[in-house]
Amino acid sequence: MSPVLEATGLGVRYRRTWALRDCSLSLPAGRVAALVGPNGAGKTTLMHAAVGLLRPRSGGVRVAGTAAFVAQDKPLYDGFSVADMLTFGRRTNARWDQASAVDRLAGLGIPLERKVSGLSGGQRAQVAVTMALAGRPDLLILDEPLANLDPLARHDVMRSIMAEVADRELTVLLSSHVVSDLEETCDWLIVLNGGRLQVSGDIEELLREHLVLTGPREATAAGVRVVSERRTGRQTGMLVRGPLPPDPRWRARHPGLEELVMGYLRSPESAALPRPAGVDA
Amino acid sequence: MIWVTWRQHRAQILVTAGFLALLGLLLLGSAVEAGRYAAEHAPPGCPGPDVACGELEVALGRRYGAVYTIFGWMPLVAPALIGAFWGAPLLGREYERGTHRLAWTQSVSVRRWLLVKLSVLGATVTAGGLLLSLMVSLWRPVFRKGADSTFGNIGVFNMVGVQPGVWWLYAFMLGVAAGALFRRTLPAMALVVAGVTVTMFTLFQLSDHYAEPVRAELSGDVLLADPDARLVGAAWVEPSGREVTEPSVGGCPHRADMGRSDRNARAWEACLFGKGYRHAVYYHPPSKFWRFQWTEAGILTLASAALAGLAVRRTLRRPG
Repeated sequence: MSPVLEATGLGVRYRRTWALRDCSLSLPAGRVAALVGPNGAGKTTLMHAAVGLLRPRSGGVRVAGTAAFVAQDKPLYDGFSVADMLTFGRRTNARWDQASAVDRLAGLGIPLERKVSGLSGGQRAQVAVTMALAGRPDLLILDEPLANLDPLARHDVMRSIMAEVADRELTVLLSSHVVSDLEETCDWLIVLNGGRLQVSGDIEELLREHLVLTGPREATAAGVRVVSERRTGRQTGMLVRGPLPPDPRWRARHPGLEELVMGYLRSPESAALPRPAGVDA
Repeated sequence: MIWVTWRQHRAQILVTAGFLALLGLLLLGSAVEAGRYAAEHAPPGCPGPDVACGELEVALGRRYGAVYTIFGWMPLVAPALIGAFWGAPLLGREYERGTHRLAWTQSVSVRRWLLVKLSVLGATVTAGGLLLSLMVSLWRPVFRKGADSTFGNIGVFNMVGVQPGVWWLYAFMLGVAAGALFRRTLPAMALVVAGVTVTMFTLFQLSDHYAEPVRAELSGDVLLADPDARLVGAAWVEPSGREVTEPSVGGCPHRADMGRSDRNARAWEACLFGKGYRHAVYYHPPSKFWRFQWTEAGILTLASAALAGLAVRRTLRRPG
């Protein structure tokens, strides 16, 4: 699949500190990618660079086709009615599917004449997502779409995004620092930590390639790429990438998504990245 | 984009239009009333040297003064308000509310978004200022036949001709640039008020140099006959022809005046004139009206363009 989003050597600096450094990744079309990492990892910076809200200091990021973006606080004009917001979208976009936007809002029970300032947090998120989808983008970028939403609203927003993905060729990149929100919906994982890219790959493949090992302290793990290691008393637990080590004392199982992410976040020096483009035959 | 500009700024546009309409009604009413009064009370041959004409002039002057006090503050306050409420929020509010991340991620480019807003709103405020100028220019002659003060009085000067248009435009662009700089509405508003005040004062100081002043030598009186001239400087001319700021002749006693009396100064001047001194006055005559109007308009238009460029550059360089 050709990539919809491609970053090469992307670096963004705010005054003295690098928010993002030497970040190269490519996101194949049709994926729903989870961008995870702790606060300040550079998730928002990566997204802003992708939609042109900031200029990278080095490298670049390219979107094939059109991208729609929903910023973290779901910005909408408070003085506008929902209908005004749709007109705003229609007037500022080359492609605009007004009918589907109206249908979608009707389905969600959000009246068009309601003022934006009178919307609930969930409705606000839905209007923002509706506007992003009405532009018929090839790539939908959502910065913390579920933050500040109650569990029911989180579920609704997520479900309506997934319905759209099922309907047509749409790639989604969404960020969150709550991994459990993404477990059921995403099939691609990107982990950012301290401004550096740690993981980028298909979630199923990643889970298959990694093992969680537990065994006595003396067990050896020679010839295995250790992602992170934790010792508790006489037990050692580690997340490794690659085949099971020969030492029979290890008990092994495949990690869950959250375990995988936590394993990488705990040791920022580890990385699981595809080989650089071009070398990949 | 035009619709977006209208929808986002219609409050300012409507309030300003309403204000101009209200002012227009006031001026129209005042002019009609004054015209009727003049038609009823003017003896034949007025305006002229007749005593009855003088009485009419005083009555009209009273009416003029009453209305003028209502909008005499406008040359300074109107541009400040335009800059604060049209200019400062244009970018400041977007940044404050985070809506720039919505506006600038649609398919309309940031450059186009900015250029449409700046040109549409800039043209609108300029038109508004010119409308104000037109209304004032139609209203004033009803009261001031013959004796004008559109040149000498800086307040009136800034309310006629092209001045309100360029001042409003300048204040608007100053507000936009301040919003781009601070990314906050309130500090941008404060900068506009300070900036417009400082600019007005600076240009007032600078205006002496818009043209070479005319020199006139007076003997017998130190006052220019034309009340609408702008005085630049004055000096005493010794009988030898040398110009001095402070005449050093011993024979004329120069005593300070008490209170509002200028008797001592008058006596001193009369004494100097008696000794063959003349009074040189440097001034700009009212015939320079358009030269001054266009010079100031040029300065303000260039400054507006520079501020607009600054706002655009800053916004495009660091849009996030």
